[in-house]
Amino acid sequence: MADEPPRFEEALAELEGLVQRLEKGELPLEDSLAAFERGVGLVRLLSQRLQDVEQRVEVLLKSEAGKLLRRPLGEDEV
Amino acid sequence: MLRSAAAPRILTVTELADRLRATFEAAGTIWVGGEISNLKRPASGHLYFTLKDDRAQIAAVMFRSAAQVLVFQPADGMEVVVRARMDLYPARGAVQLYVEAMEPHGLGALTLAFEQLKARLGAEGLFDQRRKRALPKWPRTVGIVTALHGAAIHDMRTMLRRRWPLAGVVVRPVRVQGPGAARDIVAGIQDLNRLADVDVLIVGRGGGSLEDLWAFNEEPVARAIAASTVPVVSAVGHEVDVTIADFVADARAPTPTAAASLVVPDRDEVAAAVDRAAAALARALRRRTSLARERLAALERGLGDPGRRVTDTAQRLDDLDARLRRALVGRVEWDRRELDGLAGRLARSGPVARLGAATTRVGAAAGRLRFAVAMRVRHARAALERSAVRLDALSPLACLERGYALVRRGDETGHVVTDAATLATGERVTVLFARGRARATIDDTEG
Repeated sequence: MADEPPRFEEALAELEGLVQRLEKGELPLEDSLAAFERGVGLVRLLSQRLQDVEQRVEVLLKSEAGKLLRRPLGEDEV
Repeated sequence: MLRSAAAPRILTVTELADRLRATFEAAGTIWVGGEISNLKRPASGHLYFTLKDDRAQIAAVMFRSAAQVLVFQPADGMEVVVRARMDLYPARGAVQLYVEAMEPHGLGALTLAFEQLKARLGAEGLFDQRRKRALPKWPRTVGIVTALHGAAIHDMRTMLRRRWPLAGVVVRPVRVQGPGAARDIVAGIQDLNRLADVDVLIVGRGGGSLEDLWAFNEEPVARAIAASTVPVVSAVGHEVDVTIADFVADARAPTPTAAASLVVPDRDEVAAAVDRAAAALARALRRRTSLARERLAALERGLGDPGRRVTDTAQRLDDLDARLRRALVGRVEWDRRELDGLAGRLARSGPVARLGAATTRVGAAAGRLRFAVAMRVRHARAALERSAVRLDALSPLACLERGYALVRRGDETGHVVTDAATLATGERVTVLFARGRARATIDDTEG
């Protein structure tokens, strides 16, 4: 899971940072283009994540040895 | 005669004690109401106290097995009703109440227990606002301690899925009422604390009677909530139900559904925030580029068109050259006409007599003429040289020295390109620099 995509809130924080830097106009033109491209990529990523996610629901059980086990929980089990 | 046949039978003390005990035993279980005083609670766990009213008192003992199931804490001055047996403690001859059960008088036992625990934990500072932790804004996983079957878990899952499906959900199923429920809930809170990705806990259940909700008023549950390393939201019963768990928890939700909406952000709001950020991003970039474009345009105006200057200069040079030639030719022509005129006058003047003088004059005139022409040529050359020097300063090569480059079509002999529109993609061009040249191919042109 080394190349797991950034966590949602990290991506959102990065996007907000990019917007701020761009609005202050402190970036050189080429950097601001790169920042814009990065920002658009983040927006796409965030929107996609918001749309596509299926909620992962698990149930926490204890094995006989006392170890904790996480098992997906079916919709019909509740 | 001290003794007669009718004389009463003398009992031993043991016999008397046995008779008394038999009497008490016959009385069976009794209910007695009174005030507790002189309460002692030694390490054995038994409770010793005196039950009294304003005119009498009697010793009482409640053994550990009976005392430990009390939900409330008996205390001196408390009015209680006890279920007990009377008996004699033979070794000391003391009559005692052996208490099997105890209820507070007036108030329900649970209500009293609630008030007592609340007062005690409150005094310990467990309900202090300072202890309350902020809920995480973006929990990775929401841990839920509740019954696996029931409306509460269903309501919470529905709300979590609708608001923020990015967060995972781990349910730790527990009994939420009846014997063992408190122990289950404590274990559930502890188990979920062991999962690294769980950022917030919801502990709760749906509505029920005070007895049904009782586990959430038990001290171990309160302590487990206080000890949790991740923030806990309590969600027990309905709006009106308040439990000890609610006081200890970092946040209290009136219902399980409300708890679910408390622990996660709302997807629609976040999506709107992302859209706003995207719009701001585009706006900021547009402003940034238009600023740059304006600056560029201003600089361009200041610079002028280098290509245009080169052609202008070349034209001026041609012009000067033409004027120079015209001037030179004109002057020579004029001088020649002058000479012709003189020659004519010479011919017309007296023939032989004036020949000598005429010859002298002609010679002088010819000398002056040569001199004048030579002077004129020298002047012209000097003017040409001055022009050449000025021209040199304006030469395209000087421009190139300042960093401009000339683009010629094809090889270095081709036409200078001043309009990108005349170039075709793929066309070969030669770029001339102050020193050296480069050959290039056109990738793309823009008007």
